[in-house]
Amino acid sequence: MTETEKTTAPARRLEWQLVEVRQIIVETFRVKSLLLHAPGWQGHLPGQHVDIRLTAEDGYQAQRSYSIASPPEDELLALTVEKVHNGEVSPYLVEELRVGDQFQLRGPIGGYFVWTVATPGPLWLIAGGSGIAPLMAMLRHRARRNVHNPALLLYSSRSLDDVIYREELDAMARRDPDLRVVHTLTRKQPEGWKGYGRRIDKELLADAYFPPGRNPNIFICGPTSLVEAASGLLVELGHEPLTIKTERFGPSGWAS
Amino acid sequence: MTGNDSDLVLDGNAAAGLLQEIFVLEITTAQIQCEACGSTGAVGSLRLHAAPMGAVLRCPHCDASVMRAARTPHGRWLEMTGARCLRFLAVRE
Repeated sequence: MTETEKTTAPARRLEWQLVEVRQIIVETFRVKSLLLHAPGWQGHLPGQHVDIRLTAEDGYQAQRSYSIASPPEDELLALTVEKVHNGEVSPYLVEELRVGDQFQLRGPIGGYFVWTVATPGPLWLIAGGSGIAPLMAMLRHRARRNVHNPALLLYSSRSLDDVIYREELDAMARRDPDLRVVHTLTRKQPEGWKGYGRRIDKELLADAYFPPGRNPNIFICGPTSLVEAASGLLVELGHEPLTIKTERFGPSGWAS
Repeated sequence: MTGNDSDLVLDGNAAAGLLQEIFVLEITTAQIQCEACGSTGAVGSLRLHAAPMGAVLRCPHCDASVMRAARTPHGRWLEMTGARCLRFLAVRE
């Protein structure tokens, strides 16, 4: 390049590569994390995703996108997969895949829904269900780099048993006074539960912590219904639409 | 993001794989201007209607269709009637 100018992300062809499952972590009764060895992986930014491609013996191919849950600092690439009822791909990933198995993957993809420690200002993450995955990459990255910008995770799950990464999140919040993790359990609350027990609404968001004047970077990931509700309410509360980045996924049952 | 079904409404970011097969520069952060209402935003912030063969990307402000991309056995299609321009951001270091 003749000038000291470059685009926000390097121009790199997306190539399919084989990855190998090195470890499988049971997160909840419907969710597992796959830890993958991706030879020659170029690194990624927290929030990016990958495409994966499965090929059946008869040649039929199915392709899906999954967020990366691991931070760039980790050697293995983590994908967190929720088993979707009647799904074509996720039941295979959650139930059939074993350590040592291989499949095709390409990435990292997407420079839009991305946060790194170089981004100034508070970090406000709002997750519904397995939408926590790309946000977890951001929180893990933040923890590995030991930065202390104020951060808040508002995490909506059906029940305590459905909370993904629960112990890790609790431990992170205990270690770091600048991180707050707030759970809301929409369907079932354990006895004596002192947290929120309802869907995200305006009071719940207003209770929380970063008024528009503090210019938080807001990332929302979850089912479409949650993302639309939360982003709409945040705009009503005075947050700039451009500071709110969203990633929706399809109706996986959260709405019912 | 877990795209487990067809015909989903998602964010433009979810079409990144399909679009990035075509573009050399990062596409989700590129700024696109809607012909219909004139608003400008990142491709990743468009509303994506995803179907098995491809994607329709709509303006989040006026719902006009600004990009359509498809992968067919005969090749890839990208149609951008509805978009005024696409700007790839550069940063100086």
